[in-house]
Amino acid sequence: MSVNEIIEHALKGEILPRSVQIFGPEIALCLTILALLFVRMFEIHRRLPTNLVALLGALIAFLGVFSQFMYVKGGSEIPAMMALFQAWGLTPEGVGEVGPYFTGLLVHDQFSVFFRLGLCLFLVLMIALTVLSGIPDSEDGQDFYTLLIGSSVGMMLACGANHLLTLFLAVEMMSVPSYAMVAFQKGRRQASEAALKYVIYGAGAAGVMLYGLSLVAGVLGTASMPELAAQVSTAFAGGSFVLTNPVAVTLALGILMVLAGLAFKLSLVPFHFWCPDAFEGAAAEVGGFLSVASKAGAFALLVRFCIALTGNPDPSLAGLNLSLGIGLGVAAAVTATFGNLAAYSQKNMKRLLAYSTIAHAGYMLMAVSALVIIRGANPSGVPGLTSAGLDAEARRCLEALLYYLAVYLFMNLGAFAIVALIRNQIFSEEIEDYRGLAGEAPVLCVCMLICLFSLVGLPPLGGFWAKLEIFASLFQAGRVHWFMWVVLGIAAVNTVFSLFYYMRVLKSMFLTERPVGARSALVPFRSAPGLYVVMVSVPVLLLGVLAGPLSQTANNVARILLR
Amino acid sequence: MNAYLAVAAVLFVCGVMCMATKRNGIGVLMGVELVLNGANINFVAFSKYGLLGLDGQIFSLFVIVLAAAEAAVALAIALNFYNNHLTIDVDQASELKN
Repeated sequence: MSVNEIIEHALKGEILPRSVQIFGPEIALCLTILALLFVRMFEIHRRLPTNLVALLGALIAFLGVFSQFMYVKGGSEIPAMMALFQAWGLTPEGVGEVGPYFTGLLVHDQFSVFFRLGLCLFLVLMIALTVLSGIPDSEDGQDFYTLLIGSSVGMMLACGANHLLTLFLAVEMMSVPSYAMVAFQKGRRQASEAALKYVIYGAGAAGVMLYGLSLVAGVLGTASMPELAAQVSTAFAGGSFVLTNPVAVTLALGILMVLAGLAFKLSLVPFHFWCPDAFEGAAAEVGGFLSVASKAGAFALLVRFCIALTGNPDPSLAGLNLSLGIGLGVAAAVTATFGNLAAYSQKNMKRLLAYSTIAHAGYMLMAVSALVIIRGANPSGVPGLTSAGLDAEARRCLEALLYYLAVYLFMNLGAFAIVALIRNQIFSEEIEDYRGLAGEAPVLCVCMLICLFSLVGLPPLGGFWAKLEIFASLFQAGRVHWFMWVVLGIAAVNTVFSLFYYMRVLKSMFLTERPVGARSALVPFRSAPGLYVVMVSVPVLLLGVLAGPLSQTANNVARILLR
Repeated sequence: MNAYLAVAAVLFVCGVMCMATKRNGIGVLMGVELVLNGANINFVAFSKYGLLGLDGQIFSLFVIVLAAAEAAVALAIALNFYNNHLTIDVDQASELKN
């Protein structure tokens, strides 16, 4: 197709209106960025604070994605949502129809809407947190929010990536602004060091990933992700996936390089070096953003990439699926163990949370590896499981990942928010200085308790069900390949490990006396920060008590994605 | 096509070696550029002689723009690091440790 034909086709056909309709929330965020820059340019920011502009834009985008979510979930006949549907101009041909848009570069389905909803919600909560904690100040506000929103748009692109080009663009769009955000406190030596490490590792990983993408796209002759699986079969033409075949070697190398790039974003061992340093050097708010939103975006990409590669019924390529799944499983087990062991000796709270982030990336990766193993299984080779049973198990793996990410959003944001709010009071992030805080700021400490217990996975909090679902899917995957049972064992031991270092923080907060002369941290319940942390922690409790609706939704999302 | 791929592979290996051995922050970033350009040559070669079609060319155009954006941010961060530490040696960036 020539360029003219493509333009004709896009403008005159039904592609453009549908695409713009689905892309509406992202466009709203882009307009917010423009508005932020204009506010500064015309010196209105003294009367109209930039953080309110950013918050408003994020809220509008959130409403947009929320209406899409309800439309996709419940159809156009929800009376309470009619006004919102009309305001965003949602139609059955547009948002109502699952499928690719923007000429196949992006895809619209329940999976992408679910992730975009989570990301927009997180963006709103994040901006609200920065309003409360006062980082950035009013002079730097528009720069910071431009970077924050720009990075979020990149993550939202990542959720719908349907083409290797969008995959790479999304990775770059979410990481380049986050490098600058880590360096945001320009005068601090630590921040500049953290940013330098992050940018150098990040740029290197992106380069390697791009080279891998060029190999995958070149060997398979297509860059469109839905076609990858079929092309894998064609490229091997009946031959099996063994490493004496040069095509197989090139493809395996390419896939390995792409996974290395994604592993960097997920801070998996051995690509985790940047994570503790970047989190310690950056402000706690930025740390929270990196640890939740960029992980969610990268997991969306990883799931899409793995599903694109393994959606292949050809039994001769079972070797590819199996080695991919086991490779991910090994990486997950090593990452979770390393993160938990390294978190033991930490004295700085942000560094501890960084290692905890690494460990949680490991747990979530276990769900992906179980998914790959189950998807690659040959139904006749697994006793007691039919083809339909395998599909149901694959759905449960994805459901576990989505549930975990949803709970993780609240519990990790809560932990980082409390670190930021305590820092504003006592100007310290050392666990040492948290001694006896429970007497002065009970609401912060109780919410910290909820978030940390949920991170461990104690019932009846949300983190418990999330971990349980992942363990259940690992158990089922173990029936396909015994190695998943090993991973399950490692995960269970890790959960017990992790209890101790989280408990150390809580012990310092609740069971020791506040030292004489320490700065006081008076955060009453009836104050904006107090209400904020309660607002973030309550969903962690709720998701523990009422796990049904979310897991039902997640299962539905998985069903459509794996169809 | 093999000649192009060989050049790209050589560029990639040079870039990775450069990233691994250089202690100067700017030098590491130059290594990254080599890697990105190696990948670009791959894309264009696959596009011309392989099955990738126009996608490969578009890919490399996007990468050129992205590399510029990334280099701008990376250089700004390197400059900021220099302002705070009066060096650009990546080995000196070791204050953040346990």
